Parts: sequence; C-alpha cells; structure tokens
Amino acid sequence: MHEMPQIITIQLNGEPFTLPRCSSVSDLLTRIASEEKTVATVINDQIVRPENRSAARLEEGDRVEILIFAGGG
Amino acid sequence: MDSLHLGSYTFSSRLILGTGKFSSSSVMLEAVKASGSQLVTVALRRFNREQPEDDLFTPLSAIPGITLMPNTSGASTAAEAVRAARISRELSGSPFIKVEIHPNPQHLMPDSIETYEASKILAKEGFLVMPYIPADPVLAKRLEEAGCASVMPLGSAIGSGQGLATAEMLRIIIRESNIPVIVDAGLRSPSEAALAMEMGCGAVLVNSAVAVAGDPPAMAEAFAEAVAAGHKACRAGIMDKSGMAVATSPLTAFLGPAS
Repeated sequence: MHEMPQIITIQLNGEPFTLPRCSSVSDLLTRIASEEKTVATVINDQIVRPENRSAARLEEGDRVEILIFAGGG
Repeated sequence: MDSLHLGSYTFSSRLILGTGKFSSSSVMLEAVKASGSQLVTVALRRFNREQPEDDLFTPLSAIPGITLMPNTSGASTAAEAVRAARISRELSGSPFIKVEIHPNPQHLMPDSIETYEASKILAKEGFLVMPYIPADPVLAKRLEEAGCASVMPLGSAIGSGQGLATAEMLRIIIRESNIPVIVDAGLRSPSEAALAMEMGCGAVLVNSAVAVAGDPPAMAEAFAEAVAAGHKACRAGIMDKSGMAVATSPLTAFLGPAS
C-alpha cells in the first residue's frame, strides 16, 4: 500500500510553503506567527472566516492568501 | 457644527486621511490623532513575516472613533477590485470601500469604465462605495445613480501636489451632485483643502501632503483647521466677485475741504 507523505506543499502568498498534512488554517497562522484577528484568509479564492479556520484543513497545492491592512491612500 | 453623512454613518470631521508613505507607523498614528479624522484609508496587502509591523489594523482600531475605509489599490480591473473589496470587508467589518482602479502606474489615472462596473456591483452588495474618479461630471452622475455613497474626483494626479488642477470640472460635479463630493488626490497644502471646501466639497482626502511633510502631525492639524474653515466659509455664504471696486466706506459726506 502506498503511504501518504506526511508533508504537504501549499502556495502561501505566491510562494511554496511546506507544513504537516492535516494542518488547519489556524495551524498555519500559528506557524507563521500572524495574529488571528488582524488577517484575512483566502483559500483557493474562497474567504475562510475566523470561526471556520480551525476546521479548515489544508491540502496539497492549495493557494493560500494571508492578507493584512497596510498603509495606503 | 453640521456633519458629513455617508450612508447611515455620520462624521463630524470632513478630513479623510490616507495612511500610506509615512516614515513609520508611529508617525502615521500621531498624524491620524492630530488630524481628528474619523475615516482613514488602508490598503489590503499580503502578510509579510519579515515585516509584521506593516499590519495597521490593530493600532488604528485602538484609536477611538476611527472607521476604516479600505481601498482597492493594486486592482486594474473591476473583477479584481470587487474581490479585494469583499476580502477587505471581512477584515475591516466596515461597509466603506474606496474603489480605486488604475491600470497605469506612470500616471495612476483611474479607469472610468472598470470603476463604474465595480462600483455598481459593490453598491448592490451593500457596500458604501466611494469611487476614486477623474473629474468627470457625467461619470459622477452615473455613479450617483448606481448607488454610490460619494464620488471622489481627483484634484490632480495622486501624490503630485498639483492641487486643484480640475477646479472647473469639480465645480460642475459639486453643483450637479446629490451625494457628497470628496476631492481625493493631488492636494499639496491646507489652503487648497480650504478652497475645495469653500467650493462646496463634502470632505477632502489627503495623504501625501501630510505623510511627506517635515512634521506630519502638525501638517495633519493644519489640514484639519483649513478643512473646517473652508466648510464654515461655504456655509456662511461667500461674496460674489465684482469686476469693479465696490466701496466699503461711504463715498459721500466727507468732511469739508481744508481752508
């Protein structure tokens, strides 16, 4: 039987990023040390609201955008 | 003092401050406080682990009475702007969105067609849409009819400091508009902001002029005073111009000639 690799690679803000299989969006935020409340998370063009982040599992090849408010006019 | 009404929101300040181009977040926050602005713009950007201090949401939210108005800068099509607006609303919790679509970084002139399309969609979705537009009276009227909360015509190119180059078109937009007209972009000095308000603008949006000033908090305060003075003058009723002198002292009953 073929064993599933324990590491997956996602596209995080346009760059490859590896993390353990079965990681949630919340796990990813913890790993990159971003504040839960002050970022927006978008997985494959779908907004993932804060209350859904711990249940949202990341899969190989997912396109993940972590967004903040920066200075702008 | 009368207030600025945008949707169901009421603001006593008529100065909207942008948060870009400041030398540091702390200087920007001091300028926001000094400006008395209640509506400030921010830009949606990717989180960068190397620069976590770029995140302005927490420090801005800590200032009492501040409402965030995210912009869609970076978008060059209506579809990109709509996507950015929806994500921004999730993060800001604010219905305000500054629709800003400029495909050419050389001049940053807004794309009227894409801006109109995005504004129409977002207004239907319940956003308080604040489109950044060329000073075009026809476009301004079409955006009003599409349900925008305001129109934000440019005084001159973003960051150019060329002031109210579009003044005559702005006068037409103001005269024809039933929603607040907010001059956005190009203002260099407080006197230009005062003039915009004297012309009947509902508010002005300033960023570069404050951000790159020698003392940004002091300049923010100066703009706030100018905006308040200009608005007060507009409401007070500004005298008409005359091609001839009109005496202020009586021209009769002067004392008799010296003997």
